[in-house]
Order: sequence, then structure tokens, then C-alpha cells
Amino acid sequence: MSPADLIARVPLGFLLPGVQARVDALDDKIDPTQREQLVAYGLAPNRPLVVLQQRPMTLVMIDEVELALEDSVARHVWVTWR
Amino acid sequence: MNISAIALVGNPNVGKSVLFHRLTGAYVNVSNYPGTTVEVARASARFDAAVDLIDTPGVLTLPARSDDERATMRALLNEPLRAVVQVGDAKNLRRTLTLTALLAELGVPAVLALNMHDEAGARGVTVDAPALADALGIPVVPTVATGGEGIAQLTHHLADTRGLQPLLHYDATAEMAIADLAPRIATHAPHPRLTARGLAILYLGQDNEVEAWLRQAAGEAYAELATARDAAHAQGVTPAALAHERGEAAGTLAARFTARTAQSSPLLAHRVGQWVIHRVWAWPILLGVLFSVYEFVGVFGAGTLVGLMEETLFGETLNPAITQFVQSHVGLPWLADLLVGQYGLWTMGMTYALALILPIVTTFFIAFGLLEDSGYFARLSVLANRLFKLIGLNGRAVLPMVLGLGCVTMATLTTRILHSPRERLITIFLMALAIPCSAQLGVVLGLLGGISFSATLTWVAAMVAVLMLAGFLAAKLIPGRRIPLVTEMPPMRLPLIGNVAKKTVGRLKWYLIEVIPLFLLGTLIMFVLDQIGALPAIIRAGEPLVSGWLGLPKEASAAFVMGFLRRDFGATGLFALSRQLSPIQAVVGMVTITLFVPCIASVMMIIKEQGLKIAAAMLALIVPFAFLVGGVLNHLLRTVWGAGA
Repeated sequence: MSPADLIARVPLGFLLPGVQARVDALDDKIDPTQREQLVAYGLAPNRPLVVLQQRPMTLVMIDEVELALEDSVARHVWVTWR
Repeated sequence: MNISAIALVGNPNVGKSVLFHRLTGAYVNVSNYPGTTVEVARASARFDAAVDLIDTPGVLTLPARSDDERATMRALLNEPLRAVVQVGDAKNLRRTLTLTALLAELGVPAVLALNMHDEAGARGVTVDAPALADALGIPVVPTVATGGEGIAQLTHHLADTRGLQPLLHYDATAEMAIADLAPRIATHAPHPRLTARGLAILYLGQDNEVEAWLRQAAGEAYAELATARDAAHAQGVTPAALAHERGEAAGTLAARFTARTAQSSPLLAHRVGQWVIHRVWAWPILLGVLFSVYEFVGVFGAGTLVGLMEETLFGETLNPAITQFVQSHVGLPWLADLLVGQYGLWTMGMTYALALILPIVTTFFIAFGLLEDSGYFARLSVLANRLFKLIGLNGRAVLPMVLGLGCVTMATLTTRILHSPRERLITIFLMALAIPCSAQLGVVLGLLGGISFSATLTWVAAMVAVLMLAGFLAAKLIPGRRIPLVTEMPPMRLPLIGNVAKKTVGRLKWYLIEVIPLFLLGTLIMFVLDQIGALPAIIRAGEPLVSGWLGLPKEASAAFVMGFLRRDFGATGLFALSRQLSPIQAVVGMVTITLFVPCIASVMMIIKEQGLKIAAAMLALIVPFAFLVGGVLNHLLRTVWGAGA
């Protein structure tokens, strides 16, 4: 397996700006209603996203939607990143 | 009200209200942030006066979760809908179709308006509308509501609406649960327009409005529905699972009909949007925005324009002429005094409303409208989030608070965009306490700006400190937990001058209709109190508090009496005393009157939104708190700046 094939599974809040990743799962520590909202915004399993910035909040682009997430949510969104 | 209606339904900030204006001619507030519309609006359609068009609040998710989403669900359940115009964002077809999937299940005839397709094009996104129309079985019309593009085609299709094709089959367990529940709904609680299957899906999704409707319609048989739902939930048919399947189906369909071309560089609007929330650049930009607003409203509006209106137009021309006319034509001295005396309806009531307040609120509403439409306000929620965490809220609460700087009454209604009753209660309380409306803000800026920048800054610091302290205490005392912020950033846009002008005129009209009668009533009360000798008695009675504790001239008591009617009326009373006030007195007076009771209209709105008990409790807290803070500030400033300042 070459290094390019390695896939890391990390919380969204850990990624650097500019990184492209794919949503893996929203963990149970996120409030159920908020999980529904995140899915409605497009932050659903297997969907691609780009991290735009991490401070003062995590800002991601999903399709053409810019979504800002507080750190306490971003650290419970698991993404895969190659 | 007509017997047939068409509802505009869609995700937040997709242009429903602009389209409503295009289709009816009626103007409802339109802004560039999600949550501008929190209640349904209704007007006759231009293309058919027998049809009512209904503008609904945006829904991020159905089943409805927030108060504004519930208002949309109520419209779908209770309005005599002939059809629905789903307004979707062409840049985000997946989210649009997630809602379409649910509307399809409800069986309502529909047309899909794919709005903002110009913005989508600029981002390299194109949607194959004819192919999508074939797949959905309904007309799909690309529109640019702000420019009127596609409106004629949309109107044409409204004459011939059709039911949507179902977009998906849920998994076997979910389909079994739906198949079990739908016939029970059809038997016990049939809806005149919506399908039992659609209602079953929403009920399984725990939509409170659908549940309330079914409970009422089914009567005693409701228990059977509840048992069937509980059994389905136990088998894993959860709201999240159903929403996930709709999202997946919508995503697949969207991918089929959307083409994307890569952009060589991000759009300027995109880059500006990131700068204004950048961890470094955001702060100088925020200071620049605040300074520009201060210059435009505080210096130009409250200084230059008020000077022109109050001193030149009213002071030198209108008031002398009207006073002379009244004194020579009105035989009764008391009546002449009532019209043009010290507490005269014209010389005080109308002069305050038109010469002092009108120029200030006009400039404020213009600045406010420009910022609203630019998309900047939504980004403030990101900047304010950390600060708002300290008071048990998230940055979303900054929106009603900023809107409160325009009008606290309307902003109280806007708290419906917040997701929990606790957030709403804290935000409404803080707005009633420490958020000055535009008129009051203008008077404050006019008075304190005329003294010094540091006086203005002291007032701002005092208000922020009170807001934070009161919020911190409220968050500790009101049970419940804080909800972390997740919010969409609308695109930054150049404001359309026509829309800003329309909003400003609409707000001014609303403001004058509310303010002039209250200012006249307030003046009348002051006149009567003065004539019967009660005003001097009130001033004497208030002396220990107003002069002793707050350190203000005893005449300021009259301003607080006026403040009971409207805080800005009271602030204007202090403004009129400005020549007698030292800088410390001006700051203390303005802080106290800013914290003082909210205006009558705001109190009514608080009663409407929170009930009489909570509104009364808020008032009982706010009045003594205002005097407590004012007195403490008075003593603090005298210690720091010296008694002579």
C-alpha cells in the first residue's frame, strides 16, 4: 500500500484549511436535532467537503454551501482524508 | 381571505419573499440572511385576484423543529392550498430536492422555481431544468426573482399544476411502518388535501404540528396512531433514518441533473465573505463598519440633519409661524398652551418625532438595510459566538439583537429563529433590558457624540457590561443547556438600492404610525400632569433618586416619566436638557434611560411571545435594575473622572 492510499479518519475540527475530506459519521455526542440539521445542510455521511478555515469557527464548503460549526460540534464530525 | 391559496415554500434565504413581491406586488421584508420571514404573509395574486399567495418562513428541515418551521407546517396543514410553489436555490439542488421529496409524499400539486440560477451560473453550476421536470413530473422554472426573470413562465405554469412523482421508496422496515400507519390516519384523521402517507412520514419524523393536528382530528382514536408510531420507532424507523434516506435520494437525483465546471479562482464575494470572519481581519473590518455607521447615523444623521431640521426648519421657521398662528387664532389660553406651549402637541410631540427622531431613524434604517442585504449580519453570528457562549447563548442570537437596534418590537418576533425556548427567553430579556432601538440609539449618539467620543465609548462599554452580566446571570438561573452554533453563511452580495429604499420607506412608515400617536399621547400626559400640578410633585418626589442617586438635574425626572411610554421619548427628553448636563450626567442619564422599560409595543410583543407573567417579571426586574446600574455608574464615574467632569 502506498502512502497515497492511506486514509485517515479524524474529527473535522483537526483538519487544516484547504483540505478536502469526506464525511464519515456524525457521532452521538451531537444533539439529535442538530444532527438532523447538519444532514439537511449537507453534512451527511459520504459527502465531500472542503475546509475553508478553523478559527474563530470551523468553516466548510459543501456543494455551494458555506457552513460554520462551533468547535464542540466540529470535533464530533468524523471525516476521512486521504 | 380568498378560498383558494398558493403557498411559497422553500429552504431559508432562497428568495421566497422576493418572489412573493413579484407575484403579488405586496412588499414583505427581504434580507440576505436566513430567518428574515418568521410568520406567514398573505396577499392576493397579481395573476388571479381570487387566489391568495402565502409567503412562508424558510424550512431547513421538515419535519419542523423551530417555531418558524412550525409556522410553515401549519400553513401546509390548515390553509386551503390549491398548489405549492417550491422555491429552491439552483446552487444547491440536493437540499432543494430533499424538501421536494417530502412535498411529493404529501401529494400537493407543485411547481418548482429554481431561483438564483444566475448565482449558480457564476459558480459554474448548471441544472438541466427540462430533464429534472420530466423526472419530477412537475414544471421546473429557472428564475432570478430579484431581476424578474422567469416570473411570467412561473405564472403560466401555476394555472396547470400537477402532483409530484414520488422521489424515493424508504427501506423495507420504514415502508412497512408507513404502510401500517397511513391507513389508520386515512380512517381516523383524513386530511382534505394532504395524503395519509405524507402525514404518516411526518408523524414518524416527530413533527409536533402534524402530531397536534392528528391528535385533534383523530380524537379518541389518536392512541392507536401513537401506539403504531412507538412500535415503528422501536424498530429503528427514526426521524434521522427517514431524513437520511430522503437526503440520499435527493443527492442522487441532484447529481444526475447538475453539472459543475471548475472555477479558476474563487469569486470576489466568496473571498470577501471569508475576510469578514477571518480570525485577524474580521476585527478591523468590524471596527470600520461600526465607525462608518457611527459617522453616518451619529454624526451626519443626529448632528447635521437634526441640526437642519430642529434648529433651522422647526426652530426658525415652522415653530415660530405655527406658534404665532395658534396664539392669534385660538382664544382659549390652555388650548394654545396644549398646542404650542412647553408641553405642546406641536412644539414638543411633533417636534420630537419629526425634527429629532425622523432624521436619525432614516439614516439608521438606510445603514441597517445595506448591512442586512450585504450578508454581513449573518457573519456577525460567527464573530459573536465566543462572547455569547458566556451568556448561555450561541452566535445566532446576535441576529435578533442586531435587528433590535432597528426596532426591538420586531426583533422580539425574530427570536423565533432560535432553536430552544431557553435561548428565546434569555434573548428577549436581554433585548428588553439593554438593546436600544434605532430612535433611542440615534438620540444617544447625538447627545453623547456631541460631548466626546469617550462619552460615547463609556456608554457602549456600560451597555456591553450590563448585557454580559445580565446574560451571565440569566443563563445561570434559567434551566436548560446551551445549543452550539451551526449556521449557514449566505453569499456576500452588493445590496440592491431599490430593495434598501423599499425597506427603509416601509420601516419609516411603520415607525411613524407607531411613534407619532405615542409621542402625542406622551406629550398630552405631560401637559395634564403639568397643568394639575402633578409634574412638579413627581419631580420633587423623584429628586432623591434622580438627583441624589443618579446625580442628574431634578428636571430629568420628567424624562423618566416620558420614558414609561417609550424609551426614545424619554431619551429625547434628556436630549432636550442636554445644555444643563455635564458629561457624567449625560452618560449616566443615557445609560439609565437605555436600560429603562421597553416601549409599550415591545411589552405587548413580549406578552404575545412569552405570556403575561414573564413579561411582568421582566418589567419588575428591569426598572429597579436600570436605576441601580445608573447610580453605580454615577458614583464610579465621579470617583474616576472627578465630580467636576
